[in-house]
Amino acid sequence: MSEPTQCVLIVPCSGIGKPFGTVSREAAYEVVEDLRPNQTHLVALSRLVMGDVEARTAVATCPAITLDGCKLACATKMVRECGGSVMRGFAVLDVYRRHRDLKPHGIARLNDGGLKLAHALATEVTAVVDSLVAPSCPAEIKGNSHV
Amino acid sequence: MSDLLRRKVGVVACSGEEIAEGSVTRLAALRVLGYLRPDDTVTICLPLFLAGGEGDRQFARVYPTIAVDGCEKRCAARAAERYSGKPAASVVVDEIVAQAGIHGVAGRRQLNAAGQQAVKATAERIALLVDEILGNAGDHHTAALETPAPDEGLQAEGETTCSCGSGIPVQNVLIGGEMVTFIALPLIMQQFRAAAKVPDANTARELLDTARIYTAVPDGADEAYASALLRVYTAFCEGQEATA
Repeated sequence: MSEPTQCVLIVPCSGIGKPFGTVSREAAYEVVEDLRPNQTHLVALSRLVMGDVEARTAVATCPAITLDGCKLACATKMVRECGGSVMRGFAVLDVYRRHRDLKPHGIARLNDGGLKLAHALATEVTAVVDSLVAPSCPAEIKGNSHV
Repeated sequence: MSDLLRRKVGVVACSGEEIAEGSVTRLAALRVLGYLRPDDTVTICLPLFLAGGEGDRQFARVYPTIAVDGCEKRCAARAAERYSGKPAASVVVDEIVAQAGIHGVAGRRQLNAAGQQAVKATAERIALLVDEILGNAGDHHTAALETPAPDEGLQAEGETTCSCGSGIPVQNVLIGGEMVTFIALPLIMQQFRAAAKVPDANTARELLDTARIYTAVPDGADEAYASALLRVYTAFCEGQEATA
């Protein structure tokens, strides 16, 4: 296992055509804003696409967790394209297969099932974050959910 | 008109997840695509320019595009130009917000009231640009802009994302010693022929106006391109008559 890190990058899908993309973003926001705000940082895919120096440097120096909304896996591909390490790549569809009762609807605004699916994904992401961050990191906010 | 040649505008939103203005671009694009101009627009996903490969770039080349950016980095405009062609138009939320006198846009996860205003203003600007590009000014009742956008409507689950591009015919034309690839030119000429347009100077101008929707024409090259297109169209018509 790699050395513990101080910060983990969360890179969600940028898709705007399907609810699964929205689920990936909602889960990412829940992790970086609610669940592990001190250990995670959100990176916009568009900045990686255009080779933004700051974003690429972050990807090159911090482990990343990607959240993809479809099989094209743009987030995972882009992080690797930028020389980053994808410690875990999540596909929303895989999470949905484990939670068939949480069918997402809505792109601009998720239905209740979509929000709960995002929460389930965020919980899985958080577990990976916890396995990566250094023990000396600031105490994280635990048990904080919005759904 | 052939479905392939139905004029549409591709909307490329930066969707920048780190800032509220990025969320504004995403929601404004959705409003245009799903409600304001659903028949005139398609979405082009920014990361697909790289992750989707040549097929998605080809898709973007076939449509004139409007880049919608949240900040001055202009990732969407730059990506569109790098991987497909210069956008027909470009908007930046920061500028629209300033022009509209909207203050305090915030909430990348859940936009505040100012953010929602920004979505509406940005969507309306995009819709107007779509009309300008397609020459549809006045075709859409402005009252529709006041109606809330439906949340659904882009793609049903299971549809293929960006199923596009492949199989679109192209034609190479020698212009000024350089070979230029015109996307969809064979279909354009078929359409003109079916409309009984004779090869003359007026038709050359119309050909150029139609061809430039799908293929970039360099500044100052209109005359050379029109002349070349007239030459190709004349040969096309002669070939059609010979086989008739």
